[in-house]
Amino acid sequence: MTEQHDRFLQIGVNLPELLSRVENDYNLLGELIGIFKEEFPRLLQLLRESITREDMKNVEVSSHALKGMLSALSVTRAAAIASRLEQMGRDGKTEGLTDVLILIEREVANSMPELDTYIAEMKR
Amino acid sequence: MKILIADDDRMSRRLLQTTLEREGYEVNAVSNGRSALQELSLPDGPRLALLDWMMPELDGPRVCQGVRKQHGRPYVHIVLVTSRESKEDVVAGLEAGADDYLTKPWDPAELIARLRVGQRILQLEDRLVEARETMRFKATHDHLTFLLNRGAIVELLERELVRTLREKRCTIVMLSDLDHFKSVNDLYGHLVGDEVLRETARRLLGSARSYDFVGRYGGEEFLLVLNNCDASQALLRAEEIRKVVAGLPIETMRGPLSVTMSVGVLSSSDWPLHNTEEMLCEADAALYRAKASGRNCSQLARPNVSCQAPLASLK
Repeated sequence: MTEQHDRFLQIGVNLPELLSRVENDYNLLGELIGIFKEEFPRLLQLLRESITREDMKNVEVSSHALKGMLSALSVTRAAAIASRLEQMGRDGKTEGLTDVLILIEREVANSMPELDTYIAEMKR
Repeated sequence: MKILIADDDRMSRRLLQTTLEREGYEVNAVSNGRSALQELSLPDGPRLALLDWMMPELDGPRVCQGVRKQHGRPYVHIVLVTSRESKEDVVAGLEAGADDYLTKPWDPAELIARLRVGQRILQLEDRLVEARETMRFKATHDHLTFLLNRGAIVELLERELVRTLREKRCTIVMLSDLDHFKSVNDLYGHLVGDEVLRETARRLLGSARSYDFVGRYGGEEFLLVLNNCDASQALLRAEEIRKVVAGLPIETMRGPLSVTMSVGVLSSSDWPLHNTEEMLCEADAALYRAKASGRNCSQLARPNVSCQAPLASLK
């Protein structure tokens, strides 16, 4: 189990915290990941558009929403990056916004398949 | 117990809903602040609320402010749930009227523990409200008959007379007194006397309309305030009520007992320039005339018959 937790830590997911939050309900976890997969592309698109328009208020609001979703799934590293993006939006810092967004995409792309596989195994 | 969740994030809503339903809460989940305020404004709305800070239309602190502006509603225990965690945010949230604060991502055990604290506070509030209502009832009602006491019925009479004058209507004031009540106590004892008073109160209440007022004015004296009446019907109405009291013997522990009642009745429209005290004096004078004319009858207070000092021996 610890090995598995370590593996998740390496990809920036706090598995024990996540399992505690869903009270080891793998069906609920699967449902939450489903919601995330529906919402994430929409938020990402909103962020891209806001960054292009340099609409910093929307950058702040959308990254805040993204941070909340990532935190709920204990995808801690991506959540921390989203928090950074939110702060940049709040401070009106336009430089480097796209790079940070790419980092989030990369983190999510790394962690989601692992979570999918894990849930499929646990449900079996 | 009902609980409201307000969060624009579908994931948070789903997670909170499942966690709370597992704990036996009846969950109502909404996705914006305006709907949250609507739900919390309903008469039987939830009394526990978990509000996200950032929401479309109205944010969590503004929902708190809206809820706290409402008066006459039971208290709502509000917990703000948010990932805003600076000290300034905590202070702003609590100053807006939130009772507690939980940081996202929350821990289920902590969430439930905090809600239990909220429930304990609400239970305490319920007990305080109940105690206050009991005190209010005791302060305004007679402990034997549960009718309004003298202070409360006279205060209501004052209010009704002001309203009646303003609306150019008529209020009938009925001051009634059980005949020879002292001899009931002397012959059968005070417990039987109490039974007679309780049954008289019950009969008076039963003969009055739901919007009339009945109070215990003194030992065996009762005051009835009948709103929106026809002045010409005052004596007739008093007689109807008097007959209800005297109509059937009262069942007591010492057997059935017949009682009669004398009534002094007054129509406020006949005394437009008189204040409450003066009208009560006139009703009292009419009551004494009823006693003097053989009891078990009603007498109308007429402006051409002056208010005289009551003759205590007649009661």
